[in-house]
Amino acid sequence: MALIRWEEFDPVGSMLALQEELSRVLRNPAFNLGLSGYGAYPPINVFDSGDGLAIVAELPGVEPANVNLVAQRNTLTLRGNRVREEAKAPGAFHRREREFGEFSRSIQLPEGLDLEKAAARFESGVLTVKIPKSPEAKPRQIAVESA
Amino acid sequence: MMPEQEIATREKQEVQGAEKTRPGRYFVPQVDIVENENELTLWADMPGVSDKDATVSLNDGVLTIVGKVSLAAYDKLSPLYTEYNVGNYFRQFELNEDIDEEKIKARMRNGVLTVELPKREHARPRRIEVSAG
Repeated sequence: MALIRWEEFDPVGSMLALQEELSRVLRNPAFNLGLSGYGAYPPINVFDSGDGLAIVAELPGVEPANVNLVAQRNTLTLRGNRVREEAKAPGAFHRREREFGEFSRSIQLPEGLDLEKAAARFESGVLTVKIPKSPEAKPRQIAVESA
Repeated sequence: MMPEQEIATREKQEVQGAEKTRPGRYFVPQVDIVENENELTLWADMPGVSDKDATVSLNDGVLTIVGKVSLAAYDKLSPLYTEYNVGNYFRQFELNEDIDEEKIKARMRNGVLTVELPKREHARPRRIEVSAG
């Protein structure tokens, strides 16, 4: 699959292209996540990064220290706690749309990934976990010897 | 230990109506708004928006929040399976309270915009001493 460059110099065109690509594989049935599939919190997006997988989850308002990631065999478990911010002084709610509490989600990963080398980053409320392919799963060049 | 309260997943809502003419899909950030004697505080969930890409403005009593998501994080990534879409955020509120525009404070942290909107002195409730006599 070709990897698309989301060019920053054309933000409008890139945004439209990315949104279209994301909706094209919305709840893609070809990708099996195991027990906690669609509907569990947090919603996740899975990407091909060329040399592995990237799993992205939106976790606004969660402190990075409150995110707990555990990889076991082919299962990645994402746990955490979202705590409500304190107002300067108590008051009356005019809107109360945001939810808080604990969350836990386990997803089944495809074979051929090296979970030992997984790396996670949390930026602006978005968690990105990058998992490289295991060496065995990478394509290997086979030399053809002449007889 | 069982979690005390679990977070439910809610689908992102797209901005409807007139805003549809804007390029791309805009999403409605979920907000909390708390009012007390001295101020209004608003929190808006805008994951993927950094502090430099959030704007807050107040014009004629209408508070406008815009958050632009960076696409840089998606560079060289091809989606395989998705549960949500990404896009910029937009939401407006009509404020009935008299806000001191000079004193509005806004900041982004972990994808949450916090806006503090202090009321003008004269709009705050004042305790009037009742003297006997």
